[in-house]
Amino acid sequence: MSLIVDGQSAEHVTRILFQDFSGWMIFSFYVVAFTAIAVFAYGCYIQIRKYHRGTTSATHSGLAGFRRMLADMLTHRGIKRRDRPAGKAHAYIFFGFTLLFIGTSTITLQYDILHPLLGIRFWYGTFYLLFSLTLDIAGLWLIAGLLYMMYRRKWLAPPKLNYKRPDRSEADPDYTRRDYRIEDWTFLWALIIIAMTGFLLEAARLVWLQTDPSVWDYRWWSPVGAAVAYGLKAAGVGPAAGAALRMWLWWGHGLIALVFIALIPYTKVKHILTAMVSLSLRDDKPAARLPTADLDANRIGYSKITDFSRRYLWQVDACTKCGRCHEACPAKATGYPLSPRDLVLSIREFSHTNLERYALPADEDLTVLGRGLHQVRAETLWACRTCAACVEICPVGIEHVPMIVEMRRALVDKGDMDPAVQTALQNIQNKGNSFGENKRKRAAWTKKLDFPIKDARKEAVDVLWFVGDFASFDPRYQKVSQAFARVLHAAGVDFGILYEAEMNAGNDVRRVGEEGLYEHLAEANIAALAECEFKHIVTTDPHSYNTLKNEYPQFGGVYNVEHASSMIQRMLETGVIKLSGKLDRRVTFHDPCHLGRLNNGYDAPRDALNRIGAELVEMDRSRDNSFCCGAGGGRIWTPDPIELQKPAENRMQEAAAIEGLEVFVVSCPKCMNMFEDAVKSTGNEQKIAVRELIELVDACMQAGTEQPFSHDVPETA
Amino acid sequence: MKILVAIKLVAALDEDFEIREDGCDADPDYLDYQLNEWDDYSWEVALQLAEKFPDKIEAIPVTVGPERAEAGLRKCLAKGGERGIRVWDESLEGSDPMVIGHLLAAVAKREQATMVLAGTLASDHAYAQTGMCAAAELGWAHIAVVSRLDLDPEASEANVRRELEGGIEEELAIQLPAVMTIQLGINEPRYASLRGIKQAKAKPLETLTPSELGLSPQEVGEAGSLSQVRRMYIPEKGQAELIEGTPAEQATRLAEIIKELRGDA
Ligand code: SF4
Ligand code: SF4
Repeated sequence: MSLIVDGQSAEHVTRILFQDFSGWMIFSFYVVAFTAIAVFAYGCYIQIRKYHRGTTSATHSGLAGFRRMLADMLTHRGIKRRDRPAGKAHAYIFFGFTLLFIGTSTITLQYDILHPLLGIRFWYGTFYLLFSLTLDIAGLWLIAGLLYMMYRRKWLAPPKLNYKRPDRSEADPDYTRRDYRIEDWTFLWALIIIAMTGFLLEAARLVWLQTDPSVWDYRWWSPVGAAVAYGLKAAGVGPAAGAALRMWLWWGHGLIALVFIALIPYTKVKHILTAMVSLSLRDDKPAARLPTADLDANRIGYSKITDFSRRYLWQVDACTKCGRCHEACPAKATGYPLSPRDLVLSIREFSHTNLERYALPADEDLTVLGRGLHQVRAETLWACRTCAACVEICPVGIEHVPMIVEMRRALVDKGDMDPAVQTALQNIQNKGNSFGENKRKRAAWTKKLDFPIKDARKEAVDVLWFVGDFASFDPRYQKVSQAFARVLHAAGVDFGILYEAEMNAGNDVRRVGEEGLYEHLAEANIAALAECEFKHIVTTDPHSYNTLKNEYPQFGGVYNVEHASSMIQRMLETGVIKLSGKLDRRVTFHDPCHLGRLNNGYDAPRDALNRIGAELVEMDRSRDNSFCCGAGGGRIWTPDPIELQKPAENRMQEAAAIEGLEVFVVSCPKCMNMFEDAVKSTGNEQKIAVRELIELVDACMQAGTEQPFSHDVPETA
Repeated sequence: MKILVAIKLVAALDEDFEIREDGCDADPDYLDYQLNEWDDYSWEVALQLAEKFPDKIEAIPVTVGPERAEAGLRKCLAKGGERGIRVWDESLEGSDPMVIGHLLAAVAKREQATMVLAGTLASDHAYAQTGMCAAAELGWAHIAVVSRLDLDPEASEANVRRELEGGIEEELAIQLPAVMTIQLGINEPRYASLRGIKQAKAKPLETLTPSELGLSPQEVGEAGSLSQVRRMYIPEKGQAELIEGTPAEQATRLAEIIKELRGDA
């Protein structure tokens, strides 16, 4: 198929690249272009040298990661989440820019490579016309996307784009984000000017060559250019003025574009490259499965910037300051000195300042933990609840949680931590549980049951129930453990527990950064489990569930592990659990981070609630956007300062806004602990009851109960 | 200068425990051993000084006790310091604070230490004497219940603060060499990670016997002690009784109880 008018030669329907340029002009252009490419290449070299000053410790997912990145990029599935308009606008910019970039590259490909070397020409005729049309559309997309972004930044001004830092005060020299703001706007303006001068240039050329049929007859193949050309003509621009205008615009457009390209590695524009690397290298379970460490090494964790894995150094440079993590972070939301965005930016600024130098600076300039310029402060690290809300939403795949834990490891190694956390860890060192209780008391909660629980150390069982610390020792949650035992017993499940051979599973110990103690606990539990015969493991504690399932395999403990919520859901579905009542109540469900975000266990508890007849009303922040109760990452052991709102209180207020809500359903011992407090401290205890899913199922199973739910905690004594 | 820090692995009781057959101590089956809480603070004082003056001050933990007491030394060495000292042999069984103080004094002389720190008391026996006994033996200046210590290794005296009853604070200058016992809360002791404790196993521990320190068998154990435990027991708990009924009935019951207690009934 040919789009060329009969009688015209396709060869002539093209754009002559340096039409009417003198020799010195062409020469000057090549000098500028090669300089730009050299500056670009040098910048890339500096950046890559910087990344290579990190370690290679962390793993990545190879080719699968690359494919996942391509899918992320082409679908824009990450950027669209929780901000569809911005995601779409980005897609317009991205595809517009990419097409224009590829288009421009094909010109170079033919003109500077294929034609001079091999005599191949393709950039004329039908190809040229389609090319011209595509690029016009791409230019429109680019401008539309950029205009929306400008509007959003200036007029919509979403709070997540506010650069106010919670981890610094205004007096700190690194508080200001002025340079970032200048850069943001320069970036938007630069791109929009490049796109607009492109169209103007196109139009000027049409005006200039309006008498040449091989140009003018095809003007509507560049529709935007043609429209602007008519405008110019209407304004009285003739062929001669058009020629002059074209010359000026050609140079203007070309120079800005070349400067833009030259500066990519030095500015935020580099995210187009670093984000691709970050997304390719990212671990697919960054928060659920933390990296192991060499316990015999001299140091452990990240205290110097050169301790960071290269992948993390790439990642911090990929951050676009989009603020999605900043918005999702429960520590940030309740006024703690932590924002995952600012943490990432601190590390980036630190690595930029110290690792881009020609020679590696002395050790004191590499220490990333501290209170100096761009350093990360200890209180920032301790504020984190390892809830992974940041990791989960970051569109460029940054792994905040493992970085935070690695830095905590270095703090723990120096012994630097909150005294309350110390006490908990001491207790675990001495007694194997964080409550400091005697090992022998671990199964004391079973005494109130009217049937014995099998000792899995002594006889084979189908299901080994790993109870966990909180479920064993916390007086409130002991009632849930008893309820779960009743449910299993009534359903005829063959189950047993480890009694005093069980130790703290270590999930939170690991997230505090006490890797030595974690390994000790994991090994002790794996050894205890090795002595038992069972088919699979169940636990009511999402923390234990996470580490047993995802992290024990690092130490040779590979099991089939299930969370109680999915076991209950299955037993309800298959009718193994027989209900004698329905829960005729309006409830909401709080997704525990370790069950939901970390392990995708969103549906089982909801389905179970439906099956027992509850009317489930979702909170605004649910499922992957669930708002952490505040207990993760060892924060359960750290007293929250009274002047700050607790994350659990923030959450309880969100729930209390639901009309007629009667029950706040949890599915985790630590959530239970946090929300039993929060329901009181927010003054909602008369209105809302905090219940475990298991308790509700147990209540619905009790024979002869008309209304299987009372506002008081079900008495199980 | 050397700072010797006396530490003790104390016994912590289980909730339900029993007294040993001879009636002089708790049954070891029910005991858990941990580093005395005060010693975390006094070791932290010494460590911070050693870190502040790295080439001038050495901090050395020392303990008197059987092999299990090494766990206390390891915990200290996990946080810092290069070596530890343990003093023991069988003859030390039954020693009182006087004897322990004597042994500590001997170690201080052997090491040519300039300062001995100890916890104000040990949480198990709570004598609060060992440090002071060591000072008496050495003939050094001493201050108990210290809540702040400023030391310049070049100076001949140290500045010390103590908290007194009623919220009063006292500042003292003390001549060196000296012995001080340290109060809780003087600092925030650092955490000893499990990894640190394991790695501390590579640090040398010196084991000394009383005779190597120049003490004869008569000077140690029960023979050398000025006091002895005669009996250890669990006092009977008083039981409250709620008297019910009319005022007259209540008065009658009260009178009965008084008679019972006086042995009249
Ligand atoms: S893990 Fe949670 S608390 Fe920690 S930085 Fe990320 S969002 Fe904030
Ligand atoms: S870390 Fe990720 S989510 Fe957070 S601001 Fe940067 S790009 Fe956005």
